[in-house]
Amino acid sequence: MRREAPRHPLDYLPIAFPGLMLVVFFVVPFGTMIAVSFFRRDPAGFYAPDFVFDNYARFLSLFFANVLGFSLFLAMTVAIVSVALALPFTHMLARLPRKAQVVWLVALLSVLSLSEVIIGFAWSTLLSRTAGITNLFVWLGIMEQAQALTPSFGAVLTGMVYQAFPYTVLVLYPAIVRLDPTLTEAARTLGASPLKAFFTVVVPALRNTLVATVVMVFIFALGSYLLPQLLGRPQHWTLSVLITDQAIYQSNMPFAAAMAVFLVLVTLGLVAMTVLIGRKGEA
Amino acid sequence: MKDILKTSVSRRAVLGTGLAGVSMLAMPSMLRAQDKSLKVGVYGGYFKDSFDKHIFPEFTKATGIAVESVAEPTGEAWLVQLEQAARAGQAPADVSMISQVAMLKGQTTELWAPLDAAKLKNMANLKETFINKYPDGRIAGIGAVSWYITLVTNTDVFKEAPTSWQALWDPANADKLGLLALVSNSFLLEVTAKSFMGGTNALDTEEGILKAFEKLAEVKPNVRLWYRDEAQFEQSLKSGEIPMGQYYHDVTGLAAADGNPVRSTFPKEGGILDSGSWAVSRASQKGEEAHVFIDYMSQPAVQATLSRKVGTSPTVKRELLDLTPEEFAAVSSDIDPVIPRYDLYQTKSDWLNQKWTELIVG
Amino acid sequence: MSGLALQNVVKEFGSFTAVKGVDLEVPNGTFVCLLGPSGCGKTTLLRMIAGLDLPTRGAIRLGGEDITAVPTHKRNLGMVFQSLALFPHLTVGENIAYPLRIRGIDKAAQARRVEELLAMIHLKGYADRPVSKLSGGQRQRVAIARALAISPKLFLLDEPLSALDAKLREAMQVELRQLQQSLGITTIVVTHDQREAMTMADTVVVMQAGEIRQAASPIEIYRRPADSFVADFIGQTNLIEAEATGGVASVLGVAVPGLTLPAGGKALLSVRPEDVHLTAPGGSAVPATVTFVRDLGGTIETFLDAGGRQVVAVSTPRERPEVSVGQAVGIQLTAEDCVVLKS
Repeated sequence: MRREAPRHPLDYLPIAFPGLMLVVFFVVPFGTMIAVSFFRRDPAGFYAPDFVFDNYARFLSLFFANVLGFSLFLAMTVAIVSVALALPFTHMLARLPRKAQVVWLVALLSVLSLSEVIIGFAWSTLLSRTAGITNLFVWLGIMEQAQALTPSFGAVLTGMVYQAFPYTVLVLYPAIVRLDPTLTEAARTLGASPLKAFFTVVVPALRNTLVATVVMVFIFALGSYLLPQLLGRPQHWTLSVLITDQAIYQSNMPFAAAMAVFLVLVTLGLVAMTVLIGRKGEA
Repeated sequence: MKDILKTSVSRRAVLGTGLAGVSMLAMPSMLRAQDKSLKVGVYGGYFKDSFDKHIFPEFTKATGIAVESVAEPTGEAWLVQLEQAARAGQAPADVSMISQVAMLKGQTTELWAPLDAAKLKNMANLKETFINKYPDGRIAGIGAVSWYITLVTNTDVFKEAPTSWQALWDPANADKLGLLALVSNSFLLEVTAKSFMGGTNALDTEEGILKAFEKLAEVKPNVRLWYRDEAQFEQSLKSGEIPMGQYYHDVTGLAAADGNPVRSTFPKEGGILDSGSWAVSRASQKGEEAHVFIDYMSQPAVQATLSRKVGTSPTVKRELLDLTPEEFAAVSSDIDPVIPRYDLYQTKSDWLNQKWTELIVG
Repeated sequence: MSGLALQNVVKEFGSFTAVKGVDLEVPNGTFVCLLGPSGCGKTTLLRMIAGLDLPTRGAIRLGGEDITAVPTHKRNLGMVFQSLALFPHLTVGENIAYPLRIRGIDKAAQARRVEELLAMIHLKGYADRPVSKLSGGQRQRVAIARALAISPKLFLLDEPLSALDAKLREAMQVELRQLQQSLGITTIVVTHDQREAMTMADTVVVMQAGEIRQAASPIEIYRRPADSFVADFIGQTNLIEAEATGGVASVLGVAVPGLTLPAGGKALLSVRPEDVHLTAPGGSAVPATVTFVRDLGGTIETFLDAGGRQVVAVSTPRERPEVSVGQAVGIQLTAEDCVVLKS
């Protein structure tokens, strides 16, 4: 079937609805945010339409650069760890009988239904000194004394990976199911051990999917603002935490908007870079 | 689990911003076919539930004015909503319970309709600090409820109750403290000033504030958790995971009464006394009813009921109350309190916030 | 000798037995086709030889050595899958070099071998192309070259040509057979296409329901099918009932001279259509009526009714029978044209 280029305005009708939705739910809010980021802050908690760069100027400091850097580092670490764990898991999952797959997928979906607050509380209890897993280690004789594992970077990472893991599996699942299982078998007949076959065939054949998944989880993790508060020390707070502080507690919408715009731009830049590098690797 | 559910619907429900507005729109009008009615904004969750149960029905019985209670988010989100509505001539609530910083911010835009002292006979019962005034002397708001933030400890870990806020600085308490995460809700600058610098007047100058920050920086190694979520700290305090910190006096008392190993102590420098005031939106058409309501709420008997049923500290003078010493101690103290410097959070809010964030994050 | 030997190999999947005690000897250098309808166990058998499935019972030996428990990647074999399973992220050259790279062979030697193989499959200069840019036949050859890169002792192919169109398939059958003969490699191909098996194999192994029905050269399978399944599955045939009367086999009461039947009296005969000779009715000919004539140009098929059973005769234009629908004719059967099938 040949597709003809639209010639008449009416030919665009089929994309009118999604286009409208995009405008209503993305372009308008984001445009508003950009506009507000240039507004003048009124310390009384309001803001007035204006065109000032104060909000961006305040952001351009070593302090915020450090927070931004940490946020990107944390999100990237979460993304890479999640994908590294989810890939072998999903690969094995895709080879289970259908019934078992359904059970696993339902279990993962139920983790998705947990709110960030519940995940945060669950992990802060699990990693606490008084009721946490270290008590189990003491009982087993592995540890001398129960220890608090939270707040710490490890706790933040654990909580966020736990939260991102089901997403990662669900994004990887279709691509892995579609992957021809005979590719692995072929690799084995050609002399590769199952582990070698996984790394020389499955991983590279899914390269584009993996990059896309890392980007998706990265963006997902970048938005996390509760877990860093619940499981981390202040130095583990992400830019999203500070944005929330400004927007909700300080009523400083212009500054919150400026930080959010900056975060979005940096994110888009990183994603574009990833895509470009991916393209180059293709060619 | 039960604890989490109970406490995350905290009375000062900090994270519920925005939801209140939505539920307000969704809620069908509860007004009965009465001529006189009033929309009253109260902090969503525990406060609204308690007021609906113990206060509003009695008020309606006494005055014939029906009350439609509106769940409001704390502080400034509600302020912004009220201001925007007022510009459009709307009042989402006629009377609202408003935090002190928000009171000051609302005054700058003349958001609060001035109150007529002649219609508020019971105003005389109130302590002077609980009357909010415009710079020119007009009355902007009247104290509704107050509460204390005190020094709390886990009794299993601390056999002896600490006596001073200076315990927060004690090197022996390394990694043991839970403190509120925001400069404008922890009031730790005031605590520092009153404990080490002779009083909160030391914060009058920027040098004084910077000095207070410097002193406060010494607390950092002792802090395990800078909390925004009250439930998280309360749970850690009960379990002994984080055995010391600052927390609400009344909630700690309730937890102790439930058998948890926690105690609240009024340090010799005083507990932090925070409060909410009743204020009327300038867009409200119900000025008469609003005055009747505020006057009713300022009666010693109603304040005593609030102390007994809701756990707030009374805004009227002690001698007018029929509270027993035990009942009074459960919600308040005669020790001179640390009064927050709300003016600072209005005039220097961004600067304070930036310094504070750099202090604890950096 | 001592090539591949299967000894009483059984494969059960739960309560289902896919392969029921197969014994098979494949001498070195021979080309064997496993032939049968889908679900007959031929692919399972091949996968067990490859080590991708483990036999439930029985043993597999290669060169006298028991390899039943040797994992696939240590068997040093070459296999072509039905899906071809070319690695989509690798170029043609990288695909072919994969087994060499896995074995740590140095780059220069890899490149030389890839060049050799590309020349062998007539794809010189294709090394740097992505496999997605190849035609079906080219992909086929790449899969074959990759499987042969390490010069394996055993070459396995699972329905290798099924994705190609008919013309290309026939060309590839010939090519594959020639390649196998020039390399002298022991080759086992799974197919459901009997023409393909007849074209390529030294030995055709006809399987049904997990069992070997007959294993023999193509011509013997064709001329001397062991049973009615083999006779029917390989080419076209006429199955005609015969009975022994007075020591002589007879069809519809007409004696077939020289044909003896096993004890029991009744038997089924397989007569290939080209062995059905039409004559005038009467005498020693079996009486029949012409029901339809299909003239295909190269061959003429005459459909006959013989005592209620359909018989097809095939003749060349040169021996064109002068018959028309409705005409009564005779079928002249001789002992050498008839194969008595095991009942």
